[in-house]
Amino acid sequence: MSYTLIGRVQSRLVATLPPLIVALAIHRWWALELVGLMLLFGLALDVCVYDKLIDYQPGWLALPLGAGELGLIVLATRMPLTWRAFDLFALGWVTAQVCGHGLFPRLRLEYAQSGGELGRLGAIVATAVAAVTFASIAGAVAVIPPTVHLHGVVQGPLVITHAQTLVGGVVRGGVVIRSDHVTLKNVTIVGGEYGVDIAHAQHVMLDRVRLLDFKMDAVHALDSSLMVHRCSVSAPASPLANGILITYSMGRPMSMVQKCRIVGVREGITTHSSMVDVVDNDVVGTTLHGISLSEMSMDTARGNRVESARGIAILCMDHSVCEISHNTITGALVDGNQDPSRQGIAIESYFYAEAHVHHNTVVASPGGVQALDLGVVTR
Amino acid sequence: MRCAIVGSGLAALTSYATLRHRGVPADEIAVFGTHADPTTVWRIRASSIRQQRMRSESDGHLAAAAFPGLVQYDHWLPALLWTVTNRYRPPIELFLRHAAAVREESGWDASFVERRVANIRASGAGFAIDGEGTFPHVLLALGHPGLMRLPGTVHAYEPHDYAPQVAVIGAGMAAATEWRNARAAGSDIVSIRRREPLRRPLNVPRVLFSKRGLAPYHRLGDDARVSLLHDLGRPSYPRSREWDFEVRVVDEPPPGYQVIAATGFRKGFAEDALLADLVATHDLATRDRFIVLAPDSTVPRLTDEHRTLSVAGAAGQWAFPAADTIAGAKYAARAFSSRVCRTR
Repeated sequence: MSYTLIGRVQSRLVATLPPLIVALAIHRWWALELVGLMLLFGLALDVCVYDKLIDYQPGWLALPLGAGELGLIVLATRMPLTWRAFDLFALGWVTAQVCGHGLFPRLRLEYAQSGGELGRLGAIVATAVAAVTFASIAGAVAVIPPTVHLHGVVQGPLVITHAQTLVGGVVRGGVVIRSDHVTLKNVTIVGGEYGVDIAHAQHVMLDRVRLLDFKMDAVHALDSSLMVHRCSVSAPASPLANGILITYSMGRPMSMVQKCRIVGVREGITTHSSMVDVVDNDVVGTTLHGISLSEMSMDTARGNRVESARGIAILCMDHSVCEISHNTITGALVDGNQDPSRQGIAIESYFYAEAHVHHNTVVASPGGVQALDLGVVTR
Repeated sequence: MRCAIVGSGLAALTSYATLRHRGVPADEIAVFGTHADPTTVWRIRASSIRQQRMRSESDGHLAAAAFPGLVQYDHWLPALLWTVTNRYRPPIELFLRHAAAVREESGWDASFVERRVANIRASGAGFAIDGEGTFPHVLLALGHPGLMRLPGTVHAYEPHDYAPQVAVIGAGMAAATEWRNARAAGSDIVSIRRREPLRRPLNVPRVLFSKRGLAPYHRLGDDARVSLLHDLGRPSYPRSREWDFEVRVVDEPPPGYQVIAATGFRKGFAEDALLADLVATHDLATRDRFIVLAPDSTVPRLTDEHRTLSVAGAAGQWAFPAADTIAGAKYAARAFSSRVCRTR
């Protein structure tokens, strides 16, 4: 079809209606942002490139143009594309094709000969879509949690009861989070019963947080959903202190612990009755378990490196269902000779747990991979 | 009666279907023509030249809305792939079946009046057709004025067979098809032509089918427009292996050769008695062989708030360069139907 500029813009705006409705319905910032970017890049390309270069657009050209627009969005956001984001983009693309080739020509006989222009009603709808999209984004931006930059050392415990982003600084005595949409970024936390204590909260993000000198757990999350990314946990105050504990969070969205380095604690990463992705972490020198997925959890442990764990490196326990893959376990240590379940086991499925195990590398771990006390290992 | 369509070919049928799609009742439309079956003339020509596929694409059909196109009725899955690359050519048989369906669904037969119209006169708030009735809105869908026959030849669009030696006059789609046919019949072929054939997918660049190309076209001065229309009228045919073979070119038909005139149609309003009379009677503006039309295919001098005279088909090129295609017929029909519906 040979679009006029107005035709391109109107067709694009009206075809954006379904993804916009989805974005508003699921009430997620990323979705609204994606629809906004789709429109922004699309309209910019329409005005600056397509209208100038493409006199006639054959049907097949929609595919490379769509791929190009998607590539630009990914480059601009510098974020890997999630499947959900891809689905939303694909919905927009498919809608544009269905509208452009089927719906619009059906509803408006002159659609093609008018170069994609949609007439008075189309112009009204197009304007409304643009207005709603950008108003929604403006509205969302207006309610983005405030960002607080911490300078120097703050004496805690710091209690956070409303959505906000804390950036930088050192907090002594721990941080208590009791609100959704809290982000800690580049914060160093020293001391406290718990380094970070999270309860009944979701959309919590710990990004590049360093945790030291905590007495019980570096991160303790109860009935919460959180993302822990590139954290550092070391130098606990007590030999009984644990690393990251996510507990009783089955009713919350999934959590994720990714690319953290955890050294010298009792249990490195532990879940109870939760759904957690434990991915690409380094866990070194734990005294009880490296990674423990337990109490009816449904977890994934993938791409982790567990080194010198005493007794058990990765444990799937107590009716949990675990996907354990692509991990590297080296030097799991025998912990005495009384307990057969702690004989330097790399991966253990224990007490009615079901561990699906594949593509793991086990080095110098005398216990190997085992299923004990009615646990099951499948490969 | 609120409107009349003069003509009974494909342009008339698609105009009729468009009016019906937009809610004009069948009893408010009269169709004056010589053939109850709107495909009669076209079918004879297509069959004479042994045409198997349309030159137009999936949307080259007669229904009012562009979607669904012919490809959706062609139960051949690869056709979908061909259509997104603009290589889909609907089979003639499919097109004729579709035309029959449009004829039946639109109620064409209820509005058809068998009559060869001799003259049209502006009369008060409408037009009298052969001195009868007053129709506020009239669409002329007259088709081509006739075949461009040459003495001592058989025209490509008339039934014929192929002698062992065939000379084809012309360099357009019909000529290329005749080369292919004669070759398939085992004939020795020579080509007689004034210029080398142009190879382009459609008669007219695609951009001129939409407002993107039409808006600048409508802004052209008269001389530039005439020049462009002459250029677009040069014979052409699409690139395809079907026609890619050597044909010997000669200046005169060699003795003993069957001569086929693939010379298309007579051109210009003066070749059509009805249009020539209309122009002369109402002193309509013309340039070269074209009647000057408004961008919406209406005749400016005879169209106002209350009445409409539109021209579809080959005679409507001043408004739409590809007027002799189905897309051209639709262009005029849509504008016409908008006016009819607006003045309801």
